[in-house]
Amino acid sequence: MGILLTENTNVLIQGMTGKEGAKAAKAMLEYGTKVVCGVTPNKGGQEVEGKPIFNSVKEALKKFPAVNATAIYVPPFAAKAAILEAIDGDIPLINIIVERIPIKDMAYCLAAAKEKNVRIIGPSSLGLIVPGIGRIGVVGGPLVNEIFQPGEIGVISRSGGMTNELSWQIRRAGLGQSAAVHVGGDLLMGTTYADLLRLFEKDEATKAVVIFGEHGGSYEFEIIEAIIKKEFTKPLAIYIGGKFANVFPEGMNVGHAGAIVAKGQGAAEKEKALSEVGVMIAERYEDLVQLVHNQIYAH
Amino acid sequence: MNLYEFEGKQLLAKYGLRIPKGVVVRRGEDAIFAYENLGVADVVVKAQVLSGKRGKNNGIIFCSNSEEIKKAVDELFQKNIRGQYVAAVLLEEKLAIEEERYISIVYDTTTKQPILLYTEAGGMDIEDVAHEKIKKIALDIRQENLLVSLPYARELWKCFLTEDTRQIEINPLVRTVGGEWVAADAKIALDEDAFYRHEDWKNFDARTMLGRLPTERELAVKKIDEGEGYYRGTAGKYIEMDGDIAILFSGGGASIANMDALIKASLKPANYTEYSGNPPREKVYALAKIVLSKPGLRGLWIAGGVANFTNIAETFHGIADALAEIKPTYPIVVRRAGPFEDEGRRLIEECAARNGLTMQFFGKETSMSDTAQVLAGLLK
Repeated sequence: MGILLTENTNVLIQGMTGKEGAKAAKAMLEYGTKVVCGVTPNKGGQEVEGKPIFNSVKEALKKFPAVNATAIYVPPFAAKAAILEAIDGDIPLINIIVERIPIKDMAYCLAAAKEKNVRIIGPSSLGLIVPGIGRIGVVGGPLVNEIFQPGEIGVISRSGGMTNELSWQIRRAGLGQSAAVHVGGDLLMGTTYADLLRLFEKDEATKAVVIFGEHGGSYEFEIIEAIIKKEFTKPLAIYIGGKFANVFPEGMNVGHAGAIVAKGQGAAEKEKALSEVGVMIAERYEDLVQLVHNQIYAH
Repeated sequence: MNLYEFEGKQLLAKYGLRIPKGVVVRRGEDAIFAYENLGVADVVVKAQVLSGKRGKNNGIIFCSNSEEIKKAVDELFQKNIRGQYVAAVLLEEKLAIEEERYISIVYDTTTKQPILLYTEAGGMDIEDVAHEKIKKIALDIRQENLLVSLPYARELWKCFLTEDTRQIEINPLVRTVGGEWVAADAKIALDEDAFYRHEDWKNFDARTMLGRLPTERELAVKKIDEGEGYYRGTAGKYIEMDGDIAILFSGGGASIANMDALIKASLKPANYTEYSGNPPREKVYALAKIVLSKPGLRGLWIAGGVANFTNIAETFHGIADALAEIKPTYPIVVRRAGPFEDEGRRLIEECAARNGLTMQFFGKETSMSDTAQVLAGLLK
């Protein structure tokens, strides 16, 4: 079980001939993900990791109509065109690994994706993993089997490094993960915490969820609405980083691009609002696992 | 990047908005000469800072002669407005105001599209305006034509789209007694990730939102990520702070969590710094060298999570290069894991032994926050 990725996910990699794309292809295949082909304009006919490269998504889909997910590994200035190609091809899941895509380009892609009911994870996402099934991107890196094992805890993080670090804390406590998703640290987030919580709610493997959140932006507040509407009812613990940032003036960016100091959006203010609807608040990120552990295994 | 009011107004003027007649006076420039050249008797002198609410914080002074101008300009340059450094002052014609409105375009993170906000209750903080008095118009980034008849809405939309702004706010948008619409203020933020399509952004002065000019170290760090490979592993974030613990963090998320942990351990950061992605040895070396060059340091905390794809050996090579050069005498605590962690640990510990450094290294068995406590213990 888990979310977003199954045994039937066939992954395309856009930008697979690039350095990062090729590394990701290798990492994904080694973990058992079905990477079926790649796309790089003008490099059609080549192979990476024994998988064929096509000039366009259209060509790739003609040959591999079963593709139902794509990972984007292109430079930021080429990202919009690559993403729109994937949306045009009706690929239902697009994981954007690219960092530093201009907001305007991202907003354009998100509007186009919404119309076609395409899910975008990211941008600036490291990827996602369903332990034992597969991974998109290089979540876990070469230590993936030391950090991930199939289990009951869902992981959502605004930070790529912390996706892995939190997952490690879970493993260290003798537990496993149902899925771990890095939503990315940008101003506009394709799939939000609340979107993922709704998916984790339906996932039988998931017994609880931990989140690494950050100061700035409004996405943590969407969680409150999902809980009030009972769209998410499982135990949830959250850590919100960036309490120190309140020494900086409003409007200043401290951390990821979306972490902008703002009145009403500080770490402490988010914690307060979330705790009022019963979300467990971790004072240190290391405490997240203990909080959900107590909830799941107390009885 | 946030723009000063005068820069924002120059941008708006390009799109056909009328802005008040004015002149910018930087520190050390002759304000009286500028005033006399402006040729308007009644002016408003406005402190140029990167956030709003100047009016409430005495950042705006009305003047009618040279003496008053001199006094006002001197006064404003001696101030910090809400903790911010006054980079310049703007002398502007005083408008004969009939009414004040508010208009802005920002990204709405719920719809993930731009949204236009407009209210007839201009001149006050938008947070203080009753919800029902604010007109909210959802926009679609793909539609270049805007069918909204509010004053200057079309011009603003064109500016928003063309200039890659994150936010445009005019408050107040003034209708003068003469019936003309004038942008009496401008708050604009540019999306720095779009820099490659805006050659002219290079001409903006360096800035910080803190109550001082950017330090030499801050300016030097900014240069590290410049160039063609700017998106391939970054090492260009550095904010100087008042404390004495040097910081070398990796990853945007771990960095903010660790800052909180450091403060919890009653230590004071000398800087906020992160490198992210998989930066090459040279970038990390350049960053580490600048971080360690700050005078008065008492400790160094090098910390990051269990990395996914950052090459620990490569990045630690860069840090070791800087440590070998500077040879700090204060304690160093390291916490890091991930690809090539063994090699990374070996080379940084060897560097410490070779140079007689006091260093404690921790891998993933010890959590990041716990190592902040270790550093605090060493400094007792």
